Parts: sequence; structure tokens; C-alpha cells
Amino acid sequence: MTSQLIISVGREFGSGGHEIAKDLAEHYQIELLDSNLLTEVAKHKELELHHLEGLEEKRKIKLFSRTVRGFSSSPEENLALLQFDYLQKKAAEGNSFVVVGRCSENILRKFKCLISIFVLADRKCKMERVMKLYEMSESMAEKYIRERDMERKRYHNSFCEGKWGDSRNYDLSVNSSKLGLDETTEMLIEYIDRRRKK
Amino acid sequence: MLAQIFAVVIFVAMFIFIVTEIVERHVVSLICAALTMILVFGVGMGSMEAVIETINIQSIFRTEFWYMTGEGGAGSGINWETIAFIFGMMVMVEGMARVGFFRWLCMLIAKLVKYKVISIFITFMVLSTILAMFIDSITVILFLVAVTIELAQLLKFNPIPMILAEIFCANLGGSATMCGDPPNIIIGTSLGYSFGEFLGNTGVIAGVAFLAVVPYFYFAFRKELLVNGSEAVDYRSMPSPASAIQDKKGFIISSVIFICTVILLVTHAQTGLTVSSIGVLVAIGTLVTAGKSAFVLLKKVDYKTLLFFVGLFVVIGGLEQTGILEMMAGFIGHISGGNIMVMIAIIIWLSAIASGFVDNIPFATTMIPIIKSLSVAYGVDLSVLAWTLAMGTDIGGSATPIGASANVVGVATASREGYIIRWGLYCRKMVPATLMVVLISMLVIYVRYL
Repeated sequence: MTSQLIISVGREFGSGGHEIAKDLAEHYQIELLDSNLLTEVAKHKELELHHLEGLEEKRKIKLFSRTVRGFSSSPEENLALLQFDYLQKKAAEGNSFVVVGRCSENILRKFKCLISIFVLADRKCKMERVMKLYEMSESMAEKYIRERDMERKRYHNSFCEGKWGDSRNYDLSVNSSKLGLDETTEMLIEYIDRRRKK
Repeated sequence: MLAQIFAVVIFVAMFIFIVTEIVERHVVSLICAALTMILVFGVGMGSMEAVIETINIQSIFRTEFWYMTGEGGAGSGINWETIAFIFGMMVMVEGMARVGFFRWLCMLIAKLVKYKVISIFITFMVLSTILAMFIDSITVILFLVAVTIELAQLLKFNPIPMILAEIFCANLGGSATMCGDPPNIIIGTSLGYSFGEFLGNTGVIAGVAFLAVVPYFYFAFRKELLVNGSEAVDYRSMPSPASAIQDKKGFIISSVIFICTVILLVTHAQTGLTVSSIGVLVAIGTLVTAGKSAFVLLKKVDYKTLLFFVGLFVVIGGLEQTGILEMMAGFIGHISGGNIMVMIAIIIWLSAIASGFVDNIPFATTMIPIIKSLSVAYGVDLSVLAWTLAMGTDIGGSATPIGASANVVGVATASREGYIIRWGLYCRKMVPATLMVVLISMLVIYVRYL
């Protein structure tokens, strides 16, 4: 791997976005940053992980936070900014990586090597995946998907100008139910390879 | 009646919008000010006189704006004296920050106590209190927290306890003087009290409270601070205080201006200079000596806060002109049955609890006409109510992470370095400290003035 590559993967809950991101990272032999991002940040800052847990990808609660001269008291917002700083620093140092969510398509957009993807899926596929993965009933899975997507949407939209899932914010939006996860990944690899030749 | 309804609706809407932060607070207050002008003074009252009185621009051209003539108080409407003073202090503080004054001071103290964690903990509490008596608590906390985190990383201790203690002390120090905290500036200029009068009253209360606060935080945090912080330190590896100074000449000038400002404030009752004169003088002194950097300093002034004040004064003016605040004063007087002890208890606890959740500046501004009415209606010494209000609003703000500006800045600065301070962690130690100090303040007021 000679030239820098950053792949940002936004995803709907249950769409298989994480698996696709993992496969892309494996294919290009680059680091995957998803839930482990918190551990990375804690390690980088020499902090204990439990101080940072429970706040990830959550929007700030306006009623319980205040902003003074650009400083926010919101733990959720501060953790998000901490992660954004970490990602930007990592990118500026020339590292290649795949990052899942974390408004990465927005905060890393100044890097020319960024390829941003949003993975969505049909409702039925998402339900099946979530029911199998989390051993849930249909009604529970539906509720869980709705809540998680709403959480991600609120988190994303509170930090970014563009809306979560809006195809105009990403280089490519893809429905993973149409080709399945493996073929979708293959298609994305072809797209990424072409992009890198440009 | 219509004007009163408009005034209350605008006021409540302003508070809701400030709390929810949908729009920046200066925009909210200015829009609400415009609505007050149109709906309350125009449609409701049809009074051009009320508009002129609330804008209060004529006050700037009166002698008492610049020089004390014995007529106390800035009256109702926009308190230009507060705005001129805060502007001047903002310029001075920016000048001091530019040359590295605050970082130098923190590093010097850490060096003087030989980088011993407990000694730094106690001296930084003292430093936070003293600096906040003269400089806005946001600046004090901004620099103290940054240095605390730097020292914590070098000395391997948890900075959160120290940061919390510094925040509390900044708010306590702010309560001690007229220029320490915005509510005090507004109370002082609105009611015509001097720096010396604040120091001799809220200063004494804060001093007594400080004697309880230091042991409280020491015993509350001693174990956490000593976990790693007792290891021997190689002094040579620590950053030298001199390295903090960015511009030696500017540093000397800033230090001189700061000392002169403190002298002018302490002696302003004797010299006759009002705080607005001092603010303007300090700003001119800083800008003239800053040379080419003057424009940078002017750019850095927090104009949004100044505009917020302007809008706020107009909205509160609407409540005042329509008699709403007088009604609220009547309500407090009624509950207390005219008993001053109950009145003090209501004012101090109401102010403290409210300031824990909402911005204490609009709250204090709203309460000033109320305590004025209470004083007139029940023959209570206005100054006692003023000190009560100042202590309640200044100290109550310490209870939650959103209660005062210093808390927000301290929590945010620490969190951005990964030391995330959540509500639970914050309130566990700060709520008892706040309750303790509010109680001490109330008892001191009872013993001293009743």
C-alpha cells in the first residue's frame, strides 16, 4: 500500500455496513476503526477506557448542557470532538484506515484520499439480520432498528451540515440487500480501485 | 394588561431559547429586545418614553456615568456602565493572555510548591479564588485547567478533582468582589455599590466560606490525588515559568496595567471614578500599549456576550416597566410575611437553585428590581438583599456543570483532553459544597446584618 487511503462507511443499523467495512479493511490491509476507536483514543490520551464509555455516537442532550464561547459542557459532544480530532490527526499523519460512522464522511472531507460510502438495506433484510444477530423477535428488532437509526441520525445531524444518509453527502450510497454483502463489497472494491487510479 | 402579557411571554420565550440553545443566546436576547420594544412598549403601552428610558443611551452622557456624584444606581434599562466595564476588562484580559501572564503565574506557583500535588491543589484553589476576584472566571478557569491538565500528565495524577475545586473557587472568588462575576457587576452598577462595599460584605462572606471550602475539597479528593501523585519528581523535566512568557515587554506592561486596574478598583470609592470609567481607561491603556496587536485584541473581545447583555437589559426593562417585577416582589413579600429572615432565605435559596440550572446573569438582572421593590415595600435594608442575591446567584451556579460559565469552560476544557466530567461525577462533589457555602452565607448574613 503506497498511497494513502481513507474509507468512510456510514450505515443503517442492520445493513451490514460494519461487515463491509471490515472486509474492505482486510482487503486493503488497513486498520478498521469502529467500536475500537474509543480504545484507540483512550490509549492515545493515556486514559482509562471506562471514563469514555457510554457516550459514543450519541447526540448531546441540550437541556443538560450549555455552550459558552464555543465551549460545550456536553460529555457526548466533547467525546465526539475528541474522536474527530483523533481521526483528523491520524489522517493528517498519512495513515490509511477504514472508519465506520463518527461523521467521518464530513470531518475528513478535506482529505483527497477519502472515499465515502453509505450502506443502506431493505427493511426485510435488516430485520432478518438483526433478529438473527441479537436473537430478537420481529417486533423487538423493528423497534431496535428504529431507535438505533434515530440515535445515529440525531448524532450525525447535530455535528454535520449534511443530513445522515442523504446521498449527496457520500461518494456512493449502496443498498446491500440487492447484491448481498460479499458482492456489494466486491463492487465497492472495484469502485475504490478505479477511484484510486484517477 | 396586554403589555404585561407580552412582557412575560417574551421573557419566558427568551429563557426557553437560551436554555435549549436552538439559537445563540445573543441572537435570542436581541430578537426578544426588539419584540419588547415593538410589542410591550409600542403595542401594549404606546409609550415612546419607556423606549427611551430602556435604551438609556442618555446615561452615557451624564457625569455620574464617568464620575461618582453620590446618586446611586444606573436606573432601569440598558446598563451601559456594566457593558463599558466588561468590555474594558475583556480587552485587558486578552492582552494578558496574549503575553502568557496566566500560564506563567500557574507554572511559577507549581514550581514554588516544588510540584507537590497536594500543595498545587491547595495553592491553585487560592489562586483561582484570588484571580477570579478581579478577572472574569472564564479566563481564570481556561488557563488554570489547561495548566492543571499539563501538570497532571507530567506528575501522573488525576486532574478532575483539582479542576472541580478550581471551578468552585473561581465562582467563590467571583462572589467576593464587584467585578468578579457578571451578576455582581450588574448588582453593583444598578444599585450604586462600590468595589470596597462588595469586598467588605460579600468578600467577607466568601472569605469565611473559603475557610470551609479548602478542607472540604481536601478531604473529598485527598485519596484520588495521592494515587500516583506522591512520586518523586525531577524538577528539571518540568516546563519553566519563563517559557510561558511570549513577549517580555508586553508581559511587563500587562502586569503593570493589571496592578493599576486592581488599585483603581479598590480605590474607586475614594477617587470617584466609576467602574465604567475604569473599564474605558483600562481598554485604552491596553490598546495603546499593545501597538500593532491592538486590532487582534479588539477582534478577540467577546462581543456576543456584550450584545447578549444589551438585549437582556431591554427584556428585563419590559418586565420592569409593566410592573411584573413589582408583582413578583409583592409575592415574595407576601410569602415571607414581611419577615426579613424568611425573605433572605427565599432570595438566597431561590437564587442558588435557579442559578444551578439557568444562566445566573438574566436571573440576577431580573431579581434586582424585585429586591428594590421589596426594600421599599417592607423597609428592608437594600444592601442586605443585594449581598444575599449576589451570594445566591454566584455560589448556586457551582452546583451543576451548566450553572455558571466557568463550570462549562472548565468541564469542556477537561473533556476535550479526555477527562470527561459527567453530571454524576460533577454533582457528587459540587452539590454538597454548594449547599454548604450557601448555608454558610445565609448564616453569616443573619449573624452580621440582623
